Amino acid sequence: MWVGTRILAVEDDERIRSAVKLALEDEGWTVDEAGSGEEAIELFNIITPDVVLIDIMLPGIDGFELCRTIRRTSDVPVVMVTARNDTHDIVAGLEAGADDYLTKPFAAKELSARIRALLRRIRPSSPSHARLVFGDLELIPEEGKVLQSGHEVHLTKTEFRLLCELAENPGKVFSREALLDKVWGYDYFGDGRLVDVHVRRLRTKVEQDPANPRHVVTVRGLGYRLQT
Amino acid sequence: MTSSATDPEALDGFGAVSLGEPTKRAWGLRRRIMLIFTMGALMLSLFLAFITYGFTRTSVVQQRDNDARAAARRNASIVVEALRGSPATAQPAMTRLEDLGVQRPLVWYNELWTPGRAGYDQNQLPQALVDRVIADGVASRMIVNVENEPNIVVGYQLATSDAAYFEFFSLDEVDNTLQSVRLSLVLGGMITTALAVLAGSFAARRAVRPVGVAAQAAKAIAGGRLDTRLEPTEDPDLSVLANSFNDMATALQSRIERDARFASDVSHELRSPLMTLSASVEVMDARRDEMPERAQAALDLLKGDVVRFQGLVEDLLEISRFDAGAVRLHMEELIAAEFVRQAVGVSSMPQTPIVVSPRAEMVLINGDRRRLARVVANLIDNARLHGGGSPEISITEVDPPDQPVSAIRIAVEDHGTGVPESERGLIFERFARGGVAGRRASSDGAGLGLALVDEHVRMHGGRVWIEDRLDGEPGARFVIELPAEELDE
Repeated sequence: MWVGTRILAVEDDERIRSAVKLALEDEGWTVDEAGSGEEAIELFNIITPDVVLIDIMLPGIDGFELCRTIRRTSDVPVVMVTARNDTHDIVAGLEAGADDYLTKPFAAKELSARIRALLRRIRPSSPSHARLVFGDLELIPEEGKVLQSGHEVHLTKTEFRLLCELAENPGKVFSREALLDKVWGYDYFGDGRLVDVHVRRLRTKVEQDPANPRHVVTVRGLGYRLQT
Repeated sequence: MTSSATDPEALDGFGAVSLGEPTKRAWGLRRRIMLIFTMGALMLSLFLAFITYGFTRTSVVQQRDNDARAAARRNASIVVEALRGSPATAQPAMTRLEDLGVQRPLVWYNELWTPGRAGYDQNQLPQALVDRVIADGVASRMIVNVENEPNIVVGYQLATSDAAYFEFFSLDEVDNTLQSVRLSLVLGGMITTALAVLAGSFAARRAVRPVGVAAQAAKAIAGGRLDTRLEPTEDPDLSVLANSFNDMATALQSRIERDARFASDVSHELRSPLMTLSASVEVMDARRDEMPERAQAALDLLKGDVVRFQGLVEDLLEISRFDAGAVRLHMEELIAAEFVRQAVGVSSMPQTPIVVSPRAEMVLINGDRRRLARVVANLIDNARLHGGGSPEISITEVDPPDQPVSAIRIAVEDHGTGVPESERGLIFERFARGGVAGRRASSDGAGLGLALVDEHVRMHGGRVWIEDRLDGEPGARFVIELPAEELDE
């Protein structure tokens, strides 16, 4: 199922790049390397990778900028790699459009698990739910489409999966842990900020007024729920 | 145990600066200011009262004296006139005077004294005055006491014949006036002094307030809020204090932050080579079976130490966050027993048995999930490395059965040699040295694990300590106590 999955690894440190490539190839992925943001953008258009791995600290175009550039044209899963697990870097990376993050040094097995979670297909909903309508929001899981007031909005794969999980059980409150488990495949000790930042990004796309969300609602102290 | 920069030793080179002469019975600044105000006001009002009284008395007495002399002279001329009309005795003159309302006259005529009805006669006159007026012929006056009443007596020799006129004037009125002046001065002085006490305490409070503010700021800095500063002030005297305080705080902050940043930078720099190391080791480990036995042994050593190195770098980073005061807990309500089971599940010994008392099953703790998981993992690592492996965990409530649960204890018991009582505090020091490290550290350095446990638990409002195993077997028992509450239902 994963054979031939291409990972574009963007990392300026050549030694790390080589070691990570070796380790990831052992895990069965096909790895392309880029030493800078500029190189990565060039390569991205040629090889169309399935996953992009970006080190935040890059010379020239930094990781955040690279991520935003990729996001303008693609919903490919992006994993940020940071040497600092400071809140600022992590949240900034996620807001730039990353789907998940890892801190150095990470194990190739851990990264593989993250990538598999990101690439996992959305569980098909029962056929009767081919079309889910929540007020001005319309969800077509089969086609991977979301309509806001009749206009299609573009979500990344992770945002779409997050929305689908919430739509699976409208009105039910999902805790951050539950969402981390279902969408990102994390166990009990995942990072709640992943959920928070993705919900924020999701709102800017599916809400008419993201500051006063009507669909993706925060339930204080408990988590999130989708309401019509 | 706390951050190195707040250790007393770390601040050596800064001597204590005396803030005033040491006294046996130290008086507070406030009391001194109040006392100065009160004494000052008291002295000033006393001084003013004396001056005022002196002047008033002089002028009132002088006024009375002038009036008395003028009246006596007028009355004397009336007597002269009367005597001229009836030279036999002074009685008609006296009658005349009393008709005019003169109160205390006394006439000497032809060697005879004629007093008025009021009965002021020659017996009340001092001999000196009589001599001066009658013998020497000089007009004179004198103050005498008649029946405890001060009087001024004025005497004139009458030019016509062998006669003299004396008149007593009461000074009672003057005395009354002066008494009320005295009373009002005393009252005024008391009011002034009382106002001074009030003003003094107000001034003292104002004067001391910057000291209180500075003390609070200093306390905040000591408590880890390094960006605390005093507000700038217009007052030139106070701005010296505020500026030097702020300069000190800035210097302290930058020193602490520099230390913390250095540790943090070092850890970050170390992460890059570690990334290469761990990825390469992973690649080699995947081919472990193809390796000769000796290479396998070397690989295992390498693998183990890469993990250990990684842990050290993480711990160093976390400790430097503590030192920089940059740790922000992400608090959540956690079901204690469930949480510990999860944390043990991801630790280095996921099969560790956990015994939970019935009440402790339903207890909530408020904490940072990831950091508390580190605490549990570090204690398990400690037991694995230094406590002979195979630890047991127990979770119990602290409170007796008839009281609500206020805290729980999570205890990790090991089967090592135990920790001698003298070393039980030292073991939570960073890179614990001495006998502790020598015996327990063996191949794995004492590291920062237990120091982090201590920091984390304290940030959660709990405490950690070591005791003997409850069953008396050799081994140590590490206990974490955390505030908790019972789950409703």
